Amino acid sequence: MKLASRKTATADVTRRQRSAHSSKEALYWIGPAALVILLIFGYSVVSVLISSFRYDGDWVGLENFEIVITDPIFLTALKHNGLLLLAVPVLIILAFILAVTLFETRRGMRFYRSAIFLPYILPIPVVAVVFGQIYQLNGALNIFLRSIGLEPLAQDWLGDPSIALGTMSSVIIWKEVGFGVILMLAHIISLPNETYEAARIDGAGFWRTHLSITRPAILNTIVFYGVIEAITMVSWVFNYVYVMSNGLGGPGNATMVSELYIYRAAFQNKAPELAAVAAVFLFVATLILMVAFFRIQRRSIAGTFNK
Amino acid sequence: MTKSRGVKRSKVEAFFRYSLLSFVAFTALVPAYIMFTGSFKSQGEFLNSPFGIPDSPSFAGYQSAWTDNFPNWLTNSFLIVTGAVVMTEILAALAAWGFARFPFNGRETLLGAMVSLMVVPPVVLLIPLFQFGVQLTLISTLRLVILIYVGLMLPFSIYMLTNFFKSIPESILESASIDGASSFRTFRSIVLPLSGAPLATLAVVNLLWAWNELLLALVFLQSNEKKTLMVGITGFQSRYSLDIPTVMAGMSIATLPLVIAYLFGQRFFIAGLTAGSTKGE
Amino acid sequence: MALTFREALRVHGTKENRLDFHLQHADLAQLVAHPTCNRVVRGSSPLVGPKKVVDFILKYVKNWRGAPRQVEPDCRFSPTFQLGGFRRMKSKKVLAIGAMALALLLSACSSSSDETSAEGDKAAFPTEDLTLNISWWGEQEAPGAQKWLEETIALYTKEHPNVTIKHVLQTTDGLIPSFEAAAAAQSGPDIQYFWGGIYTQQPGWDGHIAPISDYLSEEELSHYINAKVEAGFQGKVWTAPWYINPSFPLLVRKDILADNGLSVPTNWDELMKVCDVLSAKKITTIAGGVKDGWFGGWIYSILGGQSVQSQADVINAVVGTTKFTDPEHATWWTKLEESRDRKCWNDDINSLELYQAQQKFVDGTAAMTITAGPDAPNFAKKAGGDEKVTIMAMPAWSDGPLAGKMGTTSQTLGITKWSKYPQVAADFIKFSHTTDRLNAWYAATGSMPADDRFDISQVQSASTKALFESALNGAPYLENFIPAQLDADAVFKNVQLVLKGEVTAAEAAADKQAIMERLRKSDRKLVDNFTAWAK
Repeated sequence: MKLASRKTATADVTRRQRSAHSSKEALYWIGPAALVILLIFGYSVVSVLISSFRYDGDWVGLENFEIVITDPIFLTALKHNGLLLLAVPVLIILAFILAVTLFETRRGMRFYRSAIFLPYILPIPVVAVVFGQIYQLNGALNIFLRSIGLEPLAQDWLGDPSIALGTMSSVIIWKEVGFGVILMLAHIISLPNETYEAARIDGAGFWRTHLSITRPAILNTIVFYGVIEAITMVSWVFNYVYVMSNGLGGPGNATMVSELYIYRAAFQNKAPELAAVAAVFLFVATLILMVAFFRIQRRSIAGTFNK
Repeated sequence: MTKSRGVKRSKVEAFFRYSLLSFVAFTALVPAYIMFTGSFKSQGEFLNSPFGIPDSPSFAGYQSAWTDNFPNWLTNSFLIVTGAVVMTEILAALAAWGFARFPFNGRETLLGAMVSLMVVPPVVLLIPLFQFGVQLTLISTLRLVILIYVGLMLPFSIYMLTNFFKSIPESILESASIDGASSFRTFRSIVLPLSGAPLATLAVVNLLWAWNELLLALVFLQSNEKKTLMVGITGFQSRYSLDIPTVMAGMSIATLPLVIAYLFGQRFFIAGLTAGSTKGE
Repeated sequence: MALTFREALRVHGTKENRLDFHLQHADLAQLVAHPTCNRVVRGSSPLVGPKKVVDFILKYVKNWRGAPRQVEPDCRFSPTFQLGGFRRMKSKKVLAIGAMALALLLSACSSSSDETSAEGDKAAFPTEDLTLNISWWGEQEAPGAQKWLEETIALYTKEHPNVTIKHVLQTTDGLIPSFEAAAAAQSGPDIQYFWGGIYTQQPGWDGHIAPISDYLSEEELSHYINAKVEAGFQGKVWTAPWYINPSFPLLVRKDILADNGLSVPTNWDELMKVCDVLSAKKITTIAGGVKDGWFGGWIYSILGGQSVQSQADVINAVVGTTKFTDPEHATWWTKLEESRDRKCWNDDINSLELYQAQQKFVDGTAAMTITAGPDAPNFAKKAGGDEKVTIMAMPAWSDGPLAGKMGTTSQTLGITKWSKYPQVAADFIKFSHTTDRLNAWYAATGSMPADDRFDISQVQSASTKALFESALNGAPYLENFIPAQLDADAVFKNVQLVLKGEVTAAEAAADKQAIMERLRKSDRKLVDNFTAWAK
């Protein structure tokens, strides 16, 4: 007893002293990482903000903004990023269907899971080049379609401006769906047994069970995946577009996206100030996503800290 | 997995299930198949029958792909990835321990802010960092690229490791401190060895990201000898547009390390990528 | 069950841990020497349990050093000192890692160009050891160029043993970006390759080029073909033409035409009739690929050039005196439409890249194609030589002064502003224009060097000879006289869209005009530069 109370007393004092010292100590630990992050992110964002107001070293106020906002190519790029966001629900639905299907499958599940996840680990340039070949007018896909008599379906997937963006998003979906499947499947598997008891007893069918039970149960994961993919569609599609459209933004401007616009403005059109403006816009747009992401994570972070 | 399934099974349902899965698996695997078989074909053969097995497989594609500059590119990729992943592991582990172990005001906010940085598109950072690199004549050096990669990988890494470190039982840590260890000692000798698995999965996730990264390497590595594999094979397509088997061979070489790592270390990949989302919710 | 620290260490202890204790021991050794035994507050320090640590240290010190140290076992440590000591040690470690990160950050690599700092007298040839770096392009359109370059370098360095020359062949997409990076850093190659016209002018305007006319005599430069018209600016010449790029020859398979009862077309209408006949038989007339954009610029030059009087017209439209929607600039779009409607092109022109499409000509699946000038003789040879192939300019659709003429441009080499040995660079360039080197160029690549002292009579093939001669009196290569961004954003894009049927000729011309107007606004220096160039 004496020992126990002494230990508690120790622990109390310990905790008090710990919080007194811990900020300073935490600084040492977090310091180096924070330094790198500050340099890479902090310096960049501040620098981009400043550059967007200058031209060749002189302060020009909102001139650059005006030029970029009235640029039809920039507006098209933003529109395309928006259109790509439409792929996110598709991804979520596909991933959900595949995840529950895998969950219900016992034989061969590992094989299917490995196969479905493989695209996610392939490098984007590789994926883009290979699909570039497959989607040629006389490429593999059309050869296949023609051979099974679906000639009318054989389009110029990459060369037709009206479907080029869709073709691009199909490649992105192909690659990203595996990630969602894995996420959701992992969560479903970790659900407790009782979840499905009631449904089994009631004899509920496949869809009813999963729509009404699984979907709410793993809603957090679904939302998380949705946000991650939304972030991808806005911030991480450069690689796909660059490789598949030879850096031009597709037939006409059909696959122009904001990242490509910024890249071209900075490195090909030699107008870094315009690129900076576009970057500011893109950053502000992603801020919205950032806040959403932050909110989601904050709950989970707070949760882990208060365990 | 001996969980009881939720649903009554029926043959029809099984048929649909397996059809769907087979179709999806087929779609997932076909491009890799085309790429791989294409690398052994001749140009004409590839254009005429992309789906077929190569008639008379030849390594010509691999030869011309390899002699182009592949060894250089592979070395550069390897150096950059190793450097970046190792640095990230160290810095993230230190920072995560700082977050996990020491409560201070605004800890959650700071961590949340750091983690949210994952969202920032790298292209926004591109121009100022490029100008920065030019001023320090660090363009086409591996160092700068490693530094930038570390910066980009840190938010997720810190987040993942903080989650894990927080889950280490207090009792072990308490006993260590009572027995007379500094926090660094504790970190070094108890926490690190216990974190073998998450550190490994984090390394794998970061490795995947860094190996596949294109945009930053494209911009910051201008000279041909310093390019990474991804940058190299991107230019491949335009240089060998007449020789698709060579392009496919190049692609295959670029993918092979990953696929092999994947086949052997699947659980690391999967565990690492799911770690962030399912814990704590 | 919780591990004691000692046990934990035994389980997880490593060599580094023991080394750690050496450091710790150093602190403690001081302590032992200056005992602060009575200042301990029991249980107050969260970090250290006094007695256990001492025992532990003793044990390890004994093992590590081999000889036991005399330490008073009862000595306690003051918490503040302990804290300080451990913080020092910990901060040492953390700082070390932080320093590593900082070192990465702050270390600047030594200057990339490895010049010695000796200053050369501008007039005299330097005698100290020096290195020149050449960044170039061209093997892609003139195969054999690399061999020639290496040979030239070898010969030059034999005559000037103190000079070392290195060269890097850039990719098409990488040529300009790598130069821009070098320009931003003000260090890099001494000799840089530039495509003609605007691609030379712009870097000159940006101040990255040391004009070649400062280093070579006017007499010498007068022999360089296209020097004044493309690389000239306000009396000086930016860069030195290297080889000629006839822009762009139409290669025609006489045999395929003959098999279908056709003869080589001499004007546009005849060409359209050929398209009618061949497309009815499902044969591609002209093979092209616009997915990567470049071909669009070529078509613009060879069709659009036919309706302007000279390059001055184009520059006028650029600066705004005239418009791209005016007839002399807009009519050619309708000709492009016509070629599309008469099915002259391959059906996959929108999804193929340029070089891939040209292959169809060699394979015999297309009757004609358009190639880069220096490459034309090679293509002709690959497709069967002079009996099968004719090389000609695009048939005329108008009767402007430039219609039916082969376009001509010279690819150039220039001296960078930051080069430490411009006079050596100029000397090398001059050396590459000596007779032996000119002949060697033709022998290696089959294309024409940009020097009127080159003896055309040595050319055997009739088609090649005709090609060279046509380029000597050729038309300006239009693409070189518009801003590069207009080219990419307006020309490439609209050619793709017109060929696909997505936009009409009028819309394409209007779009080009709109983009030009925007460019004048966003590139504040554009109008001034182009106006000065036109003079």
